[in-house]
Amino acid sequence: MQEQQFTNIYGGAISLQCRSYDAASCREFSVCTQKLSLRGLTACTCAVWLAAYALFAYTENSAVLSAAIFVTLIGLLFYLHFVKIDQESLLVIASLGIQMTSYYASGKESTTFIEMNNVKDVVINEAIYMQKVIYYLCILLKDPVDPHGISEVVPVFQTSAARHLPTRWTASKAAGPSNSFEGAVQVEINMCILETTL
Amino acid sequence: MACGIEAKETLPEPNNSYRVNCGKWSLLRAHRICMVSDFFYPNMGGVESHIYQLSQCLIERGHKVIIVTHAYGNRKGVRYLTNGLKIYYLPLKVMYNQSTATTLFHSLPLLRYIFVRERINMVHSHSSFSAMAHDSLFHAKTMGIHTVFTDHSLFGFADVSSVLTNKLLTVSLCDTNHIICVSYTSKENTVLRAALDPEIVSVIPNAVDPAEFMPDQDRRNGSTITIVVVSRLVYRKGIDLLGGIIPELCQKYPHLHFLVGGEGPKRLVLEEVRERYQLHDRVHLLGALEHQDVRNVLVQGQIFLNTSLTEAFCMAIVEAASCGLQVVSTRVGGIPEVLPENLIILCEPSVKSLCEGLEKAIAQHQAERSPSPESIHNTVKTFYTWRNVAERTEKVYDRVAGETVLPMCERLERLFAHCGSVTGYFFAVCAVVNFLFLLFLRWVTPDSIIDIAVDATGPNGAWTRQHISTGAKKGKRTEA
Repeated sequence: MQEQQFTNIYGGAISLQCRSYDAASCREFSVCTQKLSLRGLTACTCAVWLAAYALFAYTENSAVLSAAIFVTLIGLLFYLHFVKIDQESLLVIASLGIQMTSYYASGKESTTFIEMNNVKDVVINEAIYMQKVIYYLCILLKDPVDPHGISEVVPVFQTSAARHLPTRWTASKAAGPSNSFEGAVQVEINMCILETTL
Repeated sequence: MACGIEAKETLPEPNNSYRVNCGKWSLLRAHRICMVSDFFYPNMGGVESHIYQLSQCLIERGHKVIIVTHAYGNRKGVRYLTNGLKIYYLPLKVMYNQSTATTLFHSLPLLRYIFVRERINMVHSHSSFSAMAHDSLFHAKTMGIHTVFTDHSLFGFADVSSVLTNKLLTVSLCDTNHIICVSYTSKENTVLRAALDPEIVSVIPNAVDPAEFMPDQDRRNGSTITIVVVSRLVYRKGIDLLGGIIPELCQKYPHLHFLVGGEGPKRLVLEEVRERYQLHDRVHLLGALEHQDVRNVLVQGQIFLNTSLTEAFCMAIVEAASCGLQVVSTRVGGIPEVLPENLIILCEPSVKSLCEGLEKAIAQHQAERSPSPESIHNTVKTFYTWRNVAERTEKVYDRVAGETVLPMCERLERLFAHCGSVTGYFFAVCAVVNFLFLLFLRWVTPDSIIDIAVDATGPNGAWTRQHISTGAKKGKRTEA
C-alpha cells in the first residue's frame, strides 16, 4: 500500500491510497479529502449566531436564539450525514466489476456497483463546471440497445474533484492496440494509469 | 516535446508564445491563438465560415488554435472539429440575434480559466455585433494578452443605434493591438467610426473555397436567360430595388427568368410583385438555402445580381463569379475592390441604373461576347484563397507579438484621451474594477492550480504528433 499527496481543483489537499490484493486483478483506490476543519465550522457557527443576535436585538424575541441553536445543530447533522464525504474508494475486480463507495463524515456509506460487461471504457473527459473547465475521470456504460452507443457517463471521484491529467493516459492509450484488450483488462490498465495521472 | 521549446520569455506578461527550432529565435513562431465570437457553427453565415476556414489554415501552418463561442441549444461544453480544432461552447445567456448579453464582467472567470489552461498568447475576436468578442478583448487586455480584432461589417454614422455602437467600438478598439478589416472601404469606415490610427488597421479580404464553387455547363438552360439573386431578403440587401427591376425587365425580355434564394422580411415585396404582374412561372422564390445548396442554385443561371445598399466585402459575388456567372452589382461599400472590371458590371443603387447594367449583361450574353464560365472560374480562383488569408493574418500576429500590451496606467490614459471625458471615465472605472476582479479570481484559484490542457493542435499537438496519429481519434474522444 502506498499513499501519495495531490491537490484537487480547488487547491485543497487530497491523498490517494492504492491497495493491491492477492489476486493481481483486484485493486482498490481510495481518495481521502480534508477532514472537517475546525476553522470552517467555527466560522459558520459564528455567522449564524451573530445574525441571530442581531435579529434578537431588533425584535427582542428570545425564540430567535433557540431557533439559531436548532439551525446550527440540524445544519451540522445534515452536512455531516448528506454532504461531507471523507473518502471515496474505487474497487476494481477485473473479472467482476467496479464498486464505488463514498464514506460520509457521519459514517454513512453509499455504494454503487457496475458490472464489468456493462463497462464500455474508462476515459478522461473535459467539462465546464462551476466557472471552471476541468478534466474528470469517468466510466462509460454500454447501451444495451445500440452496441456502439453509450447509455450513461458515470463520473468517478466526483466530490473530491481530483485533477486528472491525461498526459500519460493518451500516450499509453495509443501505445496499445486497445481493441484487442478485453474490457476488464482495459479497465485494469486505465486504473493503473489513473494512479500515475491523478 | 522533442524539438526543444523555450517555454517562457523574459517579457513581463506571463503568456508569451514559445518558439520552435532552438537556433533561430525569430523564425517559425508558433502562436497560441484563441478565436472568440458569438457566431460559430451550427449558426451559419460569413463570419462563421471565416473563423472556421482561417483556423484550419492556421493549424496547417503549425499554430495552436482554439475557438470560444456560446452554447447553441444542446451543443455545449468542449468539442473537437477536423484536425483537432477545439471549440468551447460556453454556457452564457443569449440576448439578441445570437449575441450574448454583456455585463463586461460576468464572463471573466470562465474566459480567464480558458486563457490560462490553454496558455493563450493571442486573442482574436471577430465581428463587432458580438458582445462576447468585445468582452474577451476587454478581459484579455486586463490579463496582458495580445489582442486582434476583425471587423466584418460596415456601419452608418447618422442614426442613434450606430452612434451608440460606434462609441462602444471606440472604447473597445482604442487599446486593441491590431484591427483587421475585410476591404479598404471597411477600413476607412472602421477608422472613422472608432477614431483609430490607420497604421494599426490591416486589410485582409475574405476568401472562398474555389473547389466548392465550380461552374457546371450542363445545368444551364440554353434558350432562356436566368438571373440569380442569392441574399437575405432584408432592407440592407436592396430587395426593394429588386422589386422594381423584376417587372421592368420581364416586360422587355420574354425569355427572362428570376431565381431568388434566401429568406427574410422583404419576401413580401417580391411576392406582391409576382402577384401583380402574373409572373409565377418566371420568378422563383426558393426560400432559405443551406450553404451546400448555394452552388447548385448559382449554376442554374447566367447572370448574378447583387442589389446590396451596404456591403463591407461581398462574398456572394465572388462565389457567383467562381461559378462562372456574369456579375451585376451596385457600386457600394467595398464591392468595387472585390472583382476586376471585366468580371463585374457596376451600377448605381437605383432601379434605372441596375436595369441598364442588366440589359448590358443580357446583350453581352446574347451576342456570346461574355467570357466562358471556365475561364472566369480559373481567373477568380487565384484571387481569394484561405491559405493566403492565413498567411497574411499570421504576419499580423507576428507583428502584434512583438508589441507590448499596454500596462494599466497607460490603458487608462488612452481611454481618457480617446473616448471623451464621460465615456472614458466610465470605462476606465470598469477597467479598474475588472482588474480587481481578476486579482480576486487569482486569489481564489491561483494560476498554479489550473491544469494546463493537452494541446490538440500546434507544435506539441496531440492530434498532429506522429506517434499517436493512429490512436488520436480514440484518445481524444469527447462526449456527445
